[in-house]
Amino acid sequence: MSILTFAMPSKGRLMEAASELLGRAGLGIDRLGAERGYRGQLRGIEDVEVAFLSASEIAQNLRDGKADLGITGQDLLEEKIPPDEGSVMLLLRLAFGGADVVVAVPECWLDVASMADLDDIAESFYERHGRRLRVATKYRNLTRRFFAARGVTGYRIVESLGATEGAPAAGIAEVIVDITTTGSTLAANHLKVLDDGVILRSSAVLAVRTAGREDPRVQRLAAALAAPV
Amino acid sequence: MAGRSSQERDGLERQNAALIAVFERAGFDHIAPDIIQPADIFLERSGEDIRARTFVFTDPGGAEMCLRPDLTVPACRYHLSHVEDPSAERRYCYLGPAFRFPDELLSPQEFTQAGLEWFGAGEPVAAEARVLKLTISALEAAGLTRYRVTFGDLGLFSALLDDTEMPARWRQRLRHHFWRPHAFRDLLQSFSAGGGARQSSISPLVSRVAEADALAVVEAEISARSLPLVGGREPREIADRLADKAADRRERPLDPAKADQLNAYLAIAGEASGIDSRFQSIGGSERFAGARNYYARRLFEMEELGLNPRRFHFAAGFGRELEYYTGFTFQIEADVDGGAVTVAGGGRYDNLLSDMGAPSPVPAVGCAIHTDRLRAVLL
Repeated sequence: MSILTFAMPSKGRLMEAASELLGRAGLGIDRLGAERGYRGQLRGIEDVEVAFLSASEIAQNLRDGKADLGITGQDLLEEKIPPDEGSVMLLLRLAFGGADVVVAVPECWLDVASMADLDDIAESFYERHGRRLRVATKYRNLTRRFFAARGVTGYRIVESLGATEGAPAAGIAEVIVDITTTGSTLAANHLKVLDDGVILRSSAVLAVRTAGREDPRVQRLAAALAAPV
Repeated sequence: MAGRSSQERDGLERQNAALIAVFERAGFDHIAPDIIQPADIFLERSGEDIRARTFVFTDPGGAEMCLRPDLTVPACRYHLSHVEDPSAERRYCYLGPAFRFPDELLSPQEFTQAGLEWFGAGEPVAAEARVLKLTISALEAAGLTRYRVTFGDLGLFSALLDDTEMPARWRQRLRHHFWRPHAFRDLLQSFSAGGGARQSSISPLVSRVAEADALAVVEAEISARSLPLVGGREPREIADRLADKAADRRERPLDPAKADQLNAYLAIAGEASGIDSRFQSIGGSERFAGARNYYARRLFEMEELGLNPRRFHFAAGFGRELEYYTGFTFQIEADVDGGAVTVAGGGRYDNLLSDMGAPSPVPAVGCAIHTDRLRAVLL
């Protein structure tokens, strides 16, 4: 049997929760090589190699066929893999890593509650301010799809690779699309989520190359990960 | 396929030489706008949906540039940089590559576009008919025989809206949403159901604004909650929108018969020369009557040029995806086995030059031919 490559986040909450669930099912992971190696072996299932990657690389590795299955955030999976791409599928939503991808605007925009309000503003923004409304985000594709589905077109995306919530205060953008768990970072930055501004209720997921979803090794890993945390 | 063979290249070039020769013979100046363009004009003008399909890159100085996604905007830039008075009449044609990330299997990422742009024409109806005539002549010169012409007319819709009694801001929002049939219908529905009825997280604030001076309420709220003023909008702008929302609540709902009338107009479709009785059944008043007259004159001009509008199709909702047009719009589809392929389109876009810096609106009509699709159809 060929080796199955199982991509796992190399650190953080997703890695810890997944390792614990696998460990409880008797599927401990031995990291190979140096102390914090980026390869590992799974105890309990033959022919599975674990690749420790950053969560954002995992979706790309699945899409490229470099990994057969992996644990990552649903937000990253949907951002990196277009909805009509059939080669990768979401097999299981996991009971951890929950967070929302949201559209947020400055709290001082007292007249803005909904995407329809945002659309209204976007349309006149160019005339009033001589430029397009800017949306800072690392979720370029999720943003485009969500805005397009709601008919909002008069904006432009400013790529943001960190501290997106600071973009409005820094004058880099007016609006942000970002991930939030408790909303406290948004509140601290005087930003509010639009009434209908939740793009995705995300969680950690187990995603798999569609072609390999019936593989018994995949099924066993899925069963182990399906348990409550 | 990575490139064209000599035979394929030769076939496309011969076809395109036939197209452009028609435009040149008609007196259109054959220009070559820049392929590499400042990205801002496209992106600020078109928004994120076009940006998603445009090849954008950064020059060593940090400026955002792009490969032109179409040739209309580059032709406008050419005009603005070569002509002292942008309202002076000029007739241009062009033939050259344009670039877009593909969005469907049919569309290649680089393709050759032929087209013409007529700025500052003195007689608008005549210019519209003539541009359609030239597009058809060029396609026929290239060998196209079986095709279907569809057109629309945003002027008719705009006139009907102007004739419909409602607050000016509602009209403006409906006009803006014309491009999105779903949003348009929802908005129209909300106006006839009674404006601002829907509850939202800002409804309580709207209630307060309804009872007092909007700007004072906004400033008090901002200072009471110590909200930093970020996002580039001043309290005045925010207060004005809240005041509009409060006014919407008090407004008499739009007469449902009027909403039905607008929807009925948008559903009109049929043979282009016999459609006036349908317009008549819609009603409207002075402005709509004026737009009907304009439509009839355009048909007359088409006939004068030897076109047969009885073969053309009119659809009131046509052009709802083509945001920069302002009046007449048209599209030509080649008949192919099992369907149709859009090979050319065009229309009137009177706001583009002024959006790009001309001091006042300049009438503009143009067309673009997708030469690679045409070639595929003719092969």
